Amino acid sequence: MTDAGRRIVGASAPRGGGLERVTGSQRYVADLPMEGVLHVKLVTVDAARARIDAIDASAALAVPGVRAVFTARDLPDPMPRFGPQVRDRPVIAVGETKYHGDPVAAVAAETKDSAEAGAALVRVAFEPLTAVVTIDDALAADAPLVQDPALRPDDPNAGRNVLREHRSGWGDLAAAESDADCVVEGTWSFPMVTQFAIEPHAFAAAPDGDGIIVWSSIQHPNWLQRVIASLLDLPLSKVRILAPDPGGAFGGKQHAKYEPLLAFLARALGRPVRLVLSLEETFQAVRRGASRIRVRSGFRRDGTLVFRDIDADYLVGAYADIADRTVAKGSWTANGPYLVPAVRIVARSILSHTVPSTAFRGFGNPQQIWAVESNLDEAARRLGIDPVELRLRNLAHHGDAFLPGDTPADGEWPETLRRAAERIGWGSPLSAGRGRGIAVGLKSGPTTGLSYSTVRLLADGSVVVYAGTSDMGQGARTIFAQIVAEELGAPIDWVTVVMGDTVVVPYDQQTSASRSSVLMGNAILAACRDIQKKLRAMAARLEGVDEASIVVERGEVRLPDDRVLPIRDVLIRGLGRLGGEVIGVGEFRKEAEPDHPLGGTAAFYEFNATAVEVSVDRETGDVTVERHVTVSDVGRSLNPAQVRGQDEGAAVMGLGHTLMEHYQFDAEGRIRNLGAIDYRIPTSMDLPKSMESDAIENGDGPGPYGAKGMSEGALLCVAPAVAAAVRDATGAVFHDLPLTPERVWRALRDQESRPEPPGG
Amino acid sequence: MRPFAYERPTAIRDVVGLLGVHGPAARLLAGGTDLIIRLRDGSIRPDVVVDVKRVLDLSDAISVETDRLVIGARTVMTDIGAHPVVRRDFAALADAAMVVGSAQIRNRATLAGNLCNASPAADTAPGLLVFGAVVIVVGPTGERRIPLDDFFVRSGVTSLGPGEMVAAIELPLPAVPRGSAHVRRTRRRGHDLASVTLAAIVEADGVARIAYGSVGPRPLRGAVTADALLDANLGDEARDRLLNQLFAGASPSPTSLRASPDYRLAMLRVLARRAIDAARARLEAGPG
Amino acid sequence: MTDLVSVSVEVNGRLREVTVAPHHTLLDALRDDLGLTGTKECCLVGECGACTVLIGGRSVDSCLMLAAEADGLAITTVEGLATGARLDPLQQAFLDTGAAQCGFCIPGQLVSARALLAETPRPTREQVEEGLAGNLCRCAGYEQIIEAVLRAADPATDGSPAGAPARPSGEPHPFDVANVPDAGLAPQ
Repeated sequence: MTDAGRRIVGASAPRGGGLERVTGSQRYVADLPMEGVLHVKLVTVDAARARIDAIDASAALAVPGVRAVFTARDLPDPMPRFGPQVRDRPVIAVGETKYHGDPVAAVAAETKDSAEAGAALVRVAFEPLTAVVTIDDALAADAPLVQDPALRPDDPNAGRNVLREHRSGWGDLAAAESDADCVVEGTWSFPMVTQFAIEPHAFAAAPDGDGIIVWSSIQHPNWLQRVIASLLDLPLSKVRILAPDPGGAFGGKQHAKYEPLLAFLARALGRPVRLVLSLEETFQAVRRGASRIRVRSGFRRDGTLVFRDIDADYLVGAYADIADRTVAKGSWTANGPYLVPAVRIVARSILSHTVPSTAFRGFGNPQQIWAVESNLDEAARRLGIDPVELRLRNLAHHGDAFLPGDTPADGEWPETLRRAAERIGWGSPLSAGRGRGIAVGLKSGPTTGLSYSTVRLLADGSVVVYAGTSDMGQGARTIFAQIVAEELGAPIDWVTVVMGDTVVVPYDQQTSASRSSVLMGNAILAACRDIQKKLRAMAARLEGVDEASIVVERGEVRLPDDRVLPIRDVLIRGLGRLGGEVIGVGEFRKEAEPDHPLGGTAAFYEFNATAVEVSVDRETGDVTVERHVTVSDVGRSLNPAQVRGQDEGAAVMGLGHTLMEHYQFDAEGRIRNLGAIDYRIPTSMDLPKSMESDAIENGDGPGPYGAKGMSEGALLCVAPAVAAAVRDATGAVFHDLPLTPERVWRALRDQESRPEPPGG
Repeated sequence: MRPFAYERPTAIRDVVGLLGVHGPAARLLAGGTDLIIRLRDGSIRPDVVVDVKRVLDLSDAISVETDRLVIGARTVMTDIGAHPVVRRDFAALADAAMVVGSAQIRNRATLAGNLCNASPAADTAPGLLVFGAVVIVVGPTGERRIPLDDFFVRSGVTSLGPGEMVAAIELPLPAVPRGSAHVRRTRRRGHDLASVTLAAIVEADGVARIAYGSVGPRPLRGAVTADALLDANLGDEARDRLLNQLFAGASPSPTSLRASPDYRLAMLRVLARRAIDAARARLEAGPG
Repeated sequence: MTDLVSVSVEVNGRLREVTVAPHHTLLDALRDDLGLTGTKECCLVGECGACTVLIGGRSVDSCLMLAAEADGLAITTVEGLATGARLDPLQQAFLDTGAAQCGFCIPGQLVSARALLAETPRPTREQVEEGLAGNLCRCAGYEQIIEAVLRAADPATDGSPAGAPARPSGEPHPFDVANVPDAGLAPQ
C-alpha cells in the first residue's frame, strides 16, 4: 500500500458523531427515553468495612412509589459472584461491606425522588470492622483478610491479602551486581486516583421476552454479555447489550459493576430499571491501583545499565476486577524500553478494603514508569551524564529483543526521544528559576485479541460498517469510516458505523489497550478486501475478462485495458435489476500463547517521550508547566486531529495525577474528598503555557496503513518528567505524588534546613 | 434533595414576615451557589426556601453615593468585579469577586449571600474587612448597621438575629488615595476554595492594613496595622516579629483537607508581602 | 406534601409551562420534564459545568438553580444554539478543530463559550481559558476546545472545514437513476 494519493486515511476527517455531540443530540445511557422505567438508588454504609447485621426496609417500602428494596436476601444463595479475573464480586454485598461505598441495598421506585427518599429510609444495622487501607496494614501479620479464602481454594496466597505475585526477568543478577560501578536505589509511591469521566457510569436493564436487554456505558459489550448470560443462566442470544458511546471511560467502564444487580432487579420486577451513579459514587466504584515500588539499578561509569531489580507492591481494592492484570502487565514491561542484561521484577497485587481498582489509562505502567524513570534521572545526576544521553545509551533500537520472550522493539524509539528533546530545546540555556525534565514511557498493546467486522456496501455505494468497538471519545467510529471510505471509494459522510448492540454487531473481544485501530481496523480492512474480491468477480463478469487481471483497491476497479472505474459504477451495473448489496466479513485475531506469562506477546508497543519545562514559585510551592512536549511513536496517524486530541488529553490527565489528584482518607479508611469540590482535576486554567504534541510516523505498526495503537502513551511518563524538571529547577527530589504546592513547599523548606549530603 | 416549599415574595416586608412565621425552618435563597449544595447534601433541612431575587426593594446593583458605595443584596459577583468604581477604589474586592468559583458561579453568587454563608474562606471577606464594610440589616425591629467585623461570628454563623436579612453592604469611599489587592492560595490555578485568602490596603498616608481568612473559624483583620511592613529597611527578625503579631489570631484547622496548618501560616506571610507590594504598586500607579 | 409550582419559562425561544416540585432543579426540569437531554448531569455541585445553560445570555450552572427560580426567565440550552439546520459558528468551529471527543462536556462548553463571546467578542487566549474554567473536560487537553472558541471569534475565519473534504469535488451524484439498468421497473 503506497502513500501516494491517499485522501481520507491520514487526514483529519470530521469526527463521526461530531454533529450529534455539538448539537446536544448525542444520547448517553442517562439520556435514553425509557417508558415506565424504575429509578434505582444504591444504599451504602458509612464505614470502610462493616458487618451487616440487619437491613430493615419497611420504612423505605412505605414511601409512595417505592416498588422494591433489593438486598442479598433477594438474590440466590450462595450469592452469585462475577469478576474478570476472580469471581469474587457479589452482585450486592452479603454479610459484609468491604469498602467505603460497597452497596448493601438497591431501592427501585417510580420517581427519582421516591428512590432517594426510600434509600434514605433503609435502616442498616452494621458494625464497623477493622479495615486495611494501606499496603503495610494489608500485609501486617494480624491483618484481617479482605477476601474469603474459600474463593481461591487452590491458591497458596489465599491466606494472605496478597492476591497474586508476579515474577519475571532475565539474566544473572548476582553476576551483574559486580559489574556495576554505581548502584542507584529508591522507593517511589503512586497515589490512588480516579478516572473522573465526565459521564458518570449509567446502567439500565429490562426484561425482553424470555431474555433481557442491558444498557451500559460499558467498554466491553461482549464481555458484559457473557457475564450477564452466565449470572442469569441465559443463552448469549437472549442477552442483548446496548452500549451507547460512553462519555469518557479511560478504563473505568471496562468491566461489569452494577449491571448484574440491575439485571436481577429487572427480571424480578418485570420492569425496566435504570441506575445513574452520582459523581461521588463513581469515585467509590473505580480507581487506579496505588503503588509502592523500589527500584535498584546498576550502571557502569559510562552510563550503561547492567542490572535492574524492581520490587513492586500495588494496592488494589476489595474485589479483584481486572486489577491484578494491570499489575502483571505493568510489571512485565517495568524495565522499560531499555537493553539491560540482568533484570529481576517482583510485583504483587495486594487486596485492601478500598474501592476496587480497575483498568485506567496506562494499565499498571504509569506506576512503574514513575519509579523507574525517576530512578534513571537520579542515576544521571550521580553519574554526571545528561539524562537524554543516558537514555540514548540504553534505549533499544528497532528490532532489538529488549524484552526476552516478547515482541522485539517495534519503533524508532531513540528518534522519538530525540524529537522530544529537540522540541523542548534540551540543552539550551534556561531562565532563572526554571528547570527541564525528560522521560520515556513504554506500554505493551494487547496480548490477545479478536475482532470481527461486517461491512455492507449498499447499492448506491454507501456503506454500513458493524464494529463492536466502543467509541468513548478516542474516535474509533471515525477511524473505521475513514478506512472504509478509503478502501471502497465512498465519501466519508456516506459511511454509517454501527456499534454497541450485541444483537446486530458481530463479536469484538474488548476495547482496551489502545487496540481498536489495529485489531478492529484490520478486521474492517479484511472485510473491505472481501468486498473488493467480490467486486473483482462482478467486474470480471460484466467486462468479460479474467478475474485475475482485475485489481480492486482504494475505491477503484482497474481493468486490464488500463480503464479505471469507480467501484460505484461496477456495483450499480453488477447488482442490476434486483439491487442488493455486497457484504464483506473480516476477522482479525491475535491468538493466545498459553506459555507466555501474559497469555500472549505484545501486538505492538506504545512508546512516548515527554519533555517539560517548569518554573517553581519557591515561596508557595506552585509548579507551573511552562512548556510540555509529548511525542508518541504511532506508526501512522490515521486521523491527525484525533491523535493530537488523545495525546494532549492524556498529557493533561497525566498532569492531573502529577500535580493535584489523590484520594484523601480519614483515620477510619473512609474517603474524605468524594466529589468535584475537593478532588481536583486540571481545568482550562491549569494547562501548560505551551503544549506541543508530535507523532513519529514510520509506518511500522501492524495496523491498517502501518498504524499502531495510541492514546495511553502520552500519560505514561508525565510524572517523572515533571518531577525531574522540578528537581532541575530547585534541587528538591520527590518520591511521592502528587506534587501539590504544599508538598513542594515542604520539600524545599526541608531542603533548606538540611545540609546537602556529600556527593549528593 | 429533601422536599421543601418555595416562596417568592416581592417586598422586604414579606420576606421578614415569612422569616417571622417560619423562623429557622426558612432559608433565604439568593444566588443558590452555596444553598443548593447544602440542600443537596442534607446539611440544612428547611421547610421553606424563600427566593429573594424578585424582591423589588432589594437592589441588584451598585450605587455610588457621596461618601459610600452601596452594594445591593441581589448584586452578583460578575457585576461587582466589572464595576468601574469597585475596580478603581476597591480593587481587592474586584479581585476577589472575580475568583469566586467559575463564570457560571459568579453570574449567580451574590455578595450578600457570600457573607451570610459565613465561610471562613470567603474570598470577599478580607477585602471588605480592610475597607471597613458595614452590613445593612433589616428585620422585625427595623434597620441595623453592623460593621462587618461584628457580622462574622464563626463558620456558618453570623450575628443576624431572628427574622433578619441583609439588605445591602456599604463601603465608605476612600478618604485618601490608596491601593488594595487580594491574593490567595489554592490547590490549582483553576477555580478552587482558598486555603488562605488575604487582602491588603496601602494608603497614601503610610498606613497598611491586612485582613485574611481560611485560617480559623472566621475571617479576621490583622491584629495590628502593617505599616512597618512598608519599611524597606525592615530587618528579617523585625519583620518576622511583626508578622507574628499581625497574624496572632490565626488558628488554622489541623484536620483540613485543603492545607496543613504550617503551610497556611507560612503562606499568610508570603501573601501579606505580595498583597502589600501589589497594593502599593496600585497606589503608585494612581486611579483608573 | 409540599405544593407544586407552576413555572412558565422561555426555553430556546419557545414558551414552556411545567409544573415542578419546588426542590427540583432547573437541570431536572430541563432533562426530565422538557426532554431536553442535551444539558448533562455530572457533579451536581457547580464545579464541572456539564449542566451549563444561558439565562438572559449569561452562563449558569443549572444544577444550582431550582426550576422554580426560572419562572419568567429566558433560557438557552445547547439545543437552542443552532438555527434550524444552520449551526452556530461555535458549533461549526468545534467540529472543525475536532474539539469534541467523548462529547459529554461539549454542550456545557458550547454554552459557556457562547456567553463568553457575547460578552467579549474578541477574547484573548487567556480570557478563553478563564471563561471556560468552569467547564471540566477529561478527554481533551482543552487545546482544541480553546482553539475552536478563538476560531469562532475571529472574523477572518471563513468557516470552511479544516478536515478532509467530505466528497471529492466534481463527481456526479452517485445514485443517478439514469445509470441503473432497468431502474424503475418492478422487481420480477
